[in-house]
Amino acid sequence: MSNNLDDELRRALRPVDPGEEFAQRVVARIARDSTVSRRHAIARYQWLPAALAASVVLGFLTTHDWRMRHEQQGLEARKELLEALRVTGAKLDLAYRVLNDEARVSANGISGA
Amino acid sequence: MTEAEECAPDDSLSRAIAGESAGFAMLVRSHQRSVYSLALRMLSDRHKAQDLAQEVFLQLHRSLAVIESYAHLSFWLRKVTVNRAIDRLRREPKYETVRLEENLNLVSDARERDPLLQRRLRELVGRLPPAPRGVMLLRFQEDLDPLEIARILDMPPNTVKSHLKRSLAILREQVTAFMGPDGTPSEPGPSFTKRDQ
Repeated sequence: MSNNLDDELRRALRPVDPGEEFAQRVVARIARDSTVSRRHAIARYQWLPAALAASVVLGFLTTHDWRMRHEQQGLEARKELLEALRVTGAKLDLAYRVLNDEARVSANGISGA
Repeated sequence: MTEAEECAPDDSLSRAIAGESAGFAMLVRSHQRSVYSLALRMLSDRHKAQDLAQEVFLQLHRSLAVIESYAHLSFWLRKVTVNRAIDRLRREPKYETVRLEENLNLVSDARERDPLLQRRLRELVGRLPPAPRGVMLLRFQEDLDPLEIARILDMPPNTVKSHLKRSLAILREQVTAFMGPDGTPSEPGPSFTKRDQ
């Protein structure tokens, strides 16, 4: 009975064919699915050019702003330096005058004695 | 002779991997009987089987890069088909078991010695729980040995042997009752527990 049942099962479970057009249907479904997924991919990345353009504009504005600030800082630093030089010059001038006055006073004292 | 018959199996695989749809169609034609029959006997429904078989080949098309050889292709197709069918059966609230009778016209063949017995056997296989059903189909439809079945279903070989033994015992008892004088099947004797499903 055992071998008999095995044989009967093999006969009963013989593979059957899904039909002539099965392979064509599979290939057509693959083509359809790939078209749909390509469309989805295009739709998914439609915003990409706009985002790229926005990034470029934002980058340009940021760089421009940075350069303007940098230049402004340079101008301010230059102004401060000039101011510092002017103050230093005035102080030196004052010190020179004080020294000159003191020298003159001491020279007059010596000649008077 | 058709293009599919002229083309060697490995050639059709390399053509399919290279992206040729004709090569892929040849692969489908050479494996459609096995994939569709596994799906049909697992799901017991012609439309669901067509759908599942198509899904398996769609998945194959997306996974061609992982296929190493023609032998690996057969292994991969059987594994994906049976596992997808088991998943689908487990998701369904109740197993559908007797619809194979509706498909009798598909499986009848002049070479069959006893069409009634064979129809009964297909019905009984269709009533087994999903995992033992997959084991029985891989054994008797695909003619695989228990070790190959264990590899395909990721099961210990002893579990495969146990499923085979218990399924055959159930079938033998049912068939014996079926072939009795009154020709009516008896109530179930040996059966699978919920754990086996």
